[in-house]
Amino acid sequence: MRRVVLIGLVLATAVFLCNGCGKAKKEDAGAQSITIWWAQWAPADGLQELGNEFEKETGIAVKVHQIPWSSYQDQVFLNFGNRQTDFDIVVGDSQWIGRGATQGLYLDLTDWLPGATDMTKVHPRAKKYLCEYPAGSGKYFAAPCETDAVGFSYRKDWFEDPKEKEAFKAKYGRELAVPDTWAEFKDIAEFFTRPGEKRYGCSLLTGRGYDSLTMGFQQIMWAFGGAWGDEGTFKVKGFVDSAGAVEALEFAKQLLEFAPEGAANFDYGKNLEVFMNGSVAMAMNYFAFFPGICASEQMTDKAGFFMMPAKGDNRVISLGGQGFSISKKVPASRQELAKKFIAWFLKTDIQKKWITKPAGFTANTEILSSDEFKNATGYNAPFAGSLDYLQDFWNVPAYNELLAAAQRYIGEALDGAREPKEALGELAAEHERIFKDAGLLK
Amino acid sequence: MKYGFVAPALVLLIAMNIFPLLYNIRLSFTSANLSGGTASFVGTRNYGRVFEGSDDNRYAAAIRTTAKFVVCAVAIELLLGFALAMVLKDRFPGKTAVLTILLIPMMLSPAVMGLYANLLFNEQFGIINRTIAFLGAEHPPAWLTGPGVKFWTILLIDTWMWTPFMMLIAMAALNSIPRYIYEAAEVDRAGAWLVFRRITLPMSAPLLGLAALLRTTDALKQFDYIMAVTGPNDAATQTLSALMYQVMFKNAHTGLGSAYSCVVLVIVIALASVFIRYIDRIQSGSG
Repeated sequence: MRRVVLIGLVLATAVFLCNGCGKAKKEDAGAQSITIWWAQWAPADGLQELGNEFEKETGIAVKVHQIPWSSYQDQVFLNFGNRQTDFDIVVGDSQWIGRGATQGLYLDLTDWLPGATDMTKVHPRAKKYLCEYPAGSGKYFAAPCETDAVGFSYRKDWFEDPKEKEAFKAKYGRELAVPDTWAEFKDIAEFFTRPGEKRYGCSLLTGRGYDSLTMGFQQIMWAFGGAWGDEGTFKVKGFVDSAGAVEALEFAKQLLEFAPEGAANFDYGKNLEVFMNGSVAMAMNYFAFFPGICASEQMTDKAGFFMMPAKGDNRVISLGGQGFSISKKVPASRQELAKKFIAWFLKTDIQKKWITKPAGFTANTEILSSDEFKNATGYNAPFAGSLDYLQDFWNVPAYNELLAAAQRYIGEALDGAREPKEALGELAAEHERIFKDAGLLK
Repeated sequence: MKYGFVAPALVLLIAMNIFPLLYNIRLSFTSANLSGGTASFVGTRNYGRVFEGSDDNRYAAAIRTTAKFVVCAVAIELLLGFALAMVLKDRFPGKTAVLTILLIPMMLSPAVMGLYANLLFNEQFGIINRTIAFLGAEHPPAWLTGPGVKFWTILLIDTWMWTPFMMLIAMAALNSIPRYIYEAAEVDRAGAWLVFRRITLPMSAPLLGLAALLRTTDALKQFDYIMAVTGPNDAATQTLSALMYQVMFKNAHTGLGSAYSCVVLVIVIALASVFIRYIDRIQSGSG
């Protein structure tokens, strides 16, 4: 027995020492390295490539740790629950910023960021929604990393087919062209819907998993005159259940009649899939997914891209993308290294390299307005145009609860479990309850 | 020395079961939030939230969905499993191969089954809808997204996976009935229905009850297929486990989520007690 205990003690000591050595080694290495957490997708590979360049210039290693989208948010906030985070920088969703800023998770960059980069060169909408909390306050908790917007990919070959053009003109009395308004969009979607040929007019973002349904619907709602609520008072009733919002939801339901089977629950991947397999004429998605379409053999010559349609003159587009935030839960020395990297990344010449990476979209207005950028790809010009119309969902700390409620009630309306008016009424009540619980609505 | 042998198991039990349970109960009385901040004592406020009619009574809806799922899943799987066991209890050529094929779904991970079902039931290119379309149906069901369909799709996946389990236990129950009882019934010229009703069913009931208990407690925790097929936030398929995950991890309300889990635990314990008493009664009756 004594021998067993002795062996156990020796083993335990060995494990303890190995762990200790490992930790010491990690800390030593960490002194000259930055760890960035981001979701697992092409832009993160691009960031890693730029990180390698940064290491060559400065000797500070950059490790971009990629986490699958499905568990990205959970892992980040679980890690924030620790005394010290495993990352120095997190590339966080725009909606996270309120939670990060108010829960002591994100470092306040207000005094540092304007000195590190020329903020006048950052697109005002990206600055407002990706960097500031509260939005428009001038208090920075993030720097722009990947700026994104929702747009449409479309089948250019179908649109340019003389027979289709002729048939469309005969039916609708106008040329078949990229839609500028939602009414035109609906006509085109209807025109291309031919279930017998397994061809459909459109697919929208309607996925229930995280936020795609909300991101897809809110831009129609805004265009039709609805809103999530009053950003100052956090009153919701009368906004999200307004006549405009109800009309928008009814309109979105009508559009799904021109979409493939199961289109009431299409997330980002599914929208990409139905476009790539040739099922739909127009597919809604974030611009970040469009480089993949151009890179594919089957779509490279067939795909075109356009900006979100408007209702009348009212065009509003869902913001996407993420900003760099520095963890407050790492030592000051590491925060300084993180700042060094962000300042370097935001330099215009580095941003010019960033836009050459897959889905490396920038918020740098100097680059966005250049013809060189606009003509580089088929999606750059509509992307640059979209930025002026960007708007975001709530980004208060309780955003996730608000998002879950929106996904749930709008989803029920699309499923036919509730009428649009009833669903939005329930959603308004639920959002007000969440704001009251959060102490934001008196 | 004797305590030394028990100690490792005891330490594991305390570390893995008792401590998390007590900690969870403690959390349920606090405002703990996953993203940090101070967790202050809030009394029974979280339990009030669980039972009050706010959140569109999500809790009541989740209980209804869970109850519907448990009742349907256990009943269908028990009946199908028992029927299969009746068919397969006798020896026949190729029995081992048939049993092996039937048991394959049970051997897979539920998460894998859920993802696999996602491909099979896919409305666009899934083999099931392709087959239905090939047979001439114009509008095959929207298995994964149809409002009235997705709950039943999840039930179908569960039935596919767990009917073999019921079948195995039913076979064990049938094989445990002594042969001489059937021989005596044959001598008495008892008909097949009478033999089934008076011998097979009552004598296999204790084990079938146990199988139903195990499946009930398991079905109450249904989570994997829901995550794989619809996600945790879909009103049509949100069970208690999915709701708990949504509240605790997605909405970050650790305190409220802990209160939900405590209530679920009480329900599971209550149901388990009922079933155990039922089995005790059957056993004492047969003894």
